[in-house]
Amino acid sequence: MNLLQLEDVGVRFGGLRALQGVDLEVKQGEIFGLLGPNGAGKTTLFNVISGLTAPSSGTVRWRGASLAGLSSHRIARLGIARTFQNLRLFSSMSCLENVLVGMHQHARQPPLAALLQTQSFRRRESQLQQEALALLDLFQLEATAHQDAASLSYGDRRRLEMARALASRPQLLLLDEPAAGMNPSEKDELRELIRRIRDQFKLTVLIIEHHVPLMLGLCDRLAVLNFGQRIALGSPDQVRRDPAVIEAYLGGGT
Amino acid sequence: MDAGLLEQMLLGALLGLSVYLPLRCGQLSLATPGFFAIGGTVAALLSTRVPALAGSGSTYPITSVLLEMALAALLTGVLALGLGRVVLRLRGIYLAIATIALVEILRVVTLNLEFTGGALGIFGIPQPFNSAAGYAAFTLALLALICWLCDRLEKTRPGRAMAAIRDDELAAASQGINTADTKLLAFVLSALVAGITGVVAAHFLNSWNAKLGNFDASITTLAFVVFGGSRTWLGPVFGGLLLTALPELLRPVGDLRLIVFGAVILVGPLFFPQGVITPELFKWFKPRIGGITTAAAQGVKQ
Ligand SMILES: Nc1ncnc2c1ncn2[C@@H]1O[C@H](COP(=O)(O)OP(=O)(O)O)[C@@H](O)[C@H]1O
Ligand SMILES: [Mg+2]
Repeated sequence: MNLLQLEDVGVRFGGLRALQGVDLEVKQGEIFGLLGPNGAGKTTLFNVISGLTAPSSGTVRWRGASLAGLSSHRIARLGIARTFQNLRLFSSMSCLENVLVGMHQHARQPPLAALLQTQSFRRRESQLQQEALALLDLFQLEATAHQDAASLSYGDRRRLEMARALASRPQLLLLDEPAAGMNPSEKDELRELIRRIRDQFKLTVLIIEHHVPLMLGLCDRLAVLNFGQRIALGSPDQVRRDPAVIEAYLGGGT
Repeated sequence: MDAGLLEQMLLGALLGLSVYLPLRCGQLSLATPGFFAIGGTVAALLSTRVPALAGSGSTYPITSVLLEMALAALLTGVLALGLGRVVLRLRGIYLAIATIALVEILRVVTLNLEFTGGALGIFGIPQPFNSAAGYAAFTLALLALICWLCDRLEKTRPGRAMAAIRDDELAAASQGINTADTKLLAFVLSALVAGITGVVAAHFLNSWNAKLGNFDASITTLAFVVFGGSRTWLGPVFGGLLLTALPELLRPVGDLRLIVFGAVILVGPLFFPQGVITPELFKWFKPRIGGITTAAAQGVKQ
């Protein structure tokens, strides 16, 4: 069974068809790339999967079950985490707190224990704190753990978004342009990092990124969207040679 | 200091906390005076109409006051649970307007009901304490308890979820936070604090009428939080204490006092857009005072 399956998904914003007839299957453990020009509907696709935008038609299935009608917090609890293209960190909080909020689902403690600060409460809290620090460490953010998230550099904020998303211990991680605003060496590191977290956390990764060489080098499979439609699907080699992709990217005729 | 003024200040701090709780979750609710009025009405009715509560001594028993508080909390809590589900679907200024409307409806209903004494209200509410100092001591204990609860809330999971919702509701939901329930929790806690405060105020004031929960009160209590800040519970406590005291302390300057009072409310947010009391303030103080505030500042950061 596919981990995630999109069947004939369409989204309309008034007269605009942001997505139409999109079929997609994402298998457990793969790194799946979404390519496409600006405005192709990639972010909209993420919004549909994570429950922020209801599809106008079609179905999204998670382990075979439809996600229709589930609010975004319910979908997050199923094990689908995401980052945002236009960063949405909790800006009044420190990096550490951002990651702690990401742990919301498994940070529950009995209210009375929390009030009385029992020993087991404090032990669990410090455990969570250690876990959060380890995540920050993984993204080389340990030095800024106690700084406000708003004070970070652009690249650091992107990494913090990834750390926060991982904190929920997801099975599927959706990354929306994680390399945007990073320099070439940061992009190389990011590629290695994504591979590493996939292996370490047994993740499936769905990634949107404009940087084509990075995507071809990183992804197991890719889909290409253009004007809301899937125009290509396959391995990096297949997609690279696909005439429709060449046309979309180079603007046909030449 | 005059114990009567101190008691008013402490009540102001409690109302400030009531406004603060939803605001810390990003919800601008102005329903506090409504729940305050309900608490006061509950106390006024029970203590004047139920002979069994009066006890045998010369003063009204404290246990009866505590019982009134429990009943007021139950009533306001249940009401907030029901109303919150509906009004919290609104955002920002729309929520503020809807809650003002709730407060007005409540006031008009109270005004027109027979058993709440109509426009005149209820008089001769029995006194559990012989002096204002007695009230102040009791209210101080209550304030300390609620501050402690707020402090624990801020440092634990639901408090973090509330702050996350204030920063970015959509991102909070994407972390698995049930934003509707979390906002409802803040709204209900706010109502409980206001209701309990109303009980104490009714005894202290000796009489109770519909005017005590009106639109003016909504704005005044909001000013406590805008002035003091809504990032930590210390903000509304500070704002409530100071802004309640200020008009009284300024009495010697005559009519000018209202202008000065208005200026303070205006200038506060201009120079301190986050309110006077912020976590940054603790960071600034920490190396200077050390010890005592270190714990508080760490609490804010956790
Ligand atoms: N909430 C919305 N309301 C109206 N139009 C939208 C909305 N979100 C996206 N769009 C439009 O849908 C199209 C696809 O957008 P998007 O998914 O962000 O593209 P991409 O991420 O591939 O650059 C764009 O034309 C965009 O303007
Ligand atoms: Mg996009």
